[in-house]
Amino acid sequence: MKIQSTRFGEMEISIENILKLDQGIPGFPDESEFAFLPYEENSPFAFLQSTHNANLTFLLVEPFSFLPEYTFELSEEWSKEIGVSTENPPQIFNIVSIREPLQQSTVNLLAPVVVNWRDRKAKQIILEKVEYTTKHLLFPNGLPEKAAQGGK
Amino acid sequence: MLALTRRVGERIVIGDNVVVTIVDIKGDSIRLAIDAPREIKIYRGEIFDAIAAENKEAAVQQLPAALDGLKGLHKK
Repeated sequence: MKIQSTRFGEMEISIENILKLDQGIPGFPDESEFAFLPYEENSPFAFLQSTHNANLTFLLVEPFSFLPEYTFELSEEWSKEIGVSTENPPQIFNIVSIREPLQQSTVNLLAPVVVNWRDRKAKQIILEKVEYTTKHLLFPNGLPEKAAQGGK
Repeated sequence: MLALTRRVGERIVIGDNVVVTIVDIKGDSIRLAIDAPREIKIYRGEIFDAIAAENKEAAVQQLPAALDGLKGLHKK
């Protein structure tokens, strides 16, 4: 399907990369469909681009690359609602608030985004009884060493 | 919006399966007991508001140039 993005222009997105978020996400209750756009190959980052609102883009990160201690239990109720299980395991992302300079960027660990790729469904859930907040430094120890980049 | 006055021990029934009981009132604090099916998610309003506020902050029209700094960071 064709979608419009202020940041990326017009794009043709394969249906496999369209995620349904029933009831939207907190703050955006009407945004129920997003395109998943990897930042680059092998990157823990990706964008969620609203298919209805060209201006609405979120940056996601797979948390376990940067925050190996991050852990939570996905309740049975959430697993059921999202449709994930041990046979259809979820992929977890967290929403990043990008800042200048980049080292001050934060990540919302209290409300992870749980993706069910089999059914192309996702949901931002709010964790209970955890110490996490909406604003953790994404790079608490400074920017990580980059992988070797050819030609630079 | 419906506004109701209730006393300690009284209840409000919402739909077929949600019951809110006023357990105790001390000064400006009210203790509620909520009986609802597990699939009904209940949050303190300020937690939901904090997530919504954070999402609004994270949603940007023009992602800043700093974003280029994420290039070459790979999964572990």
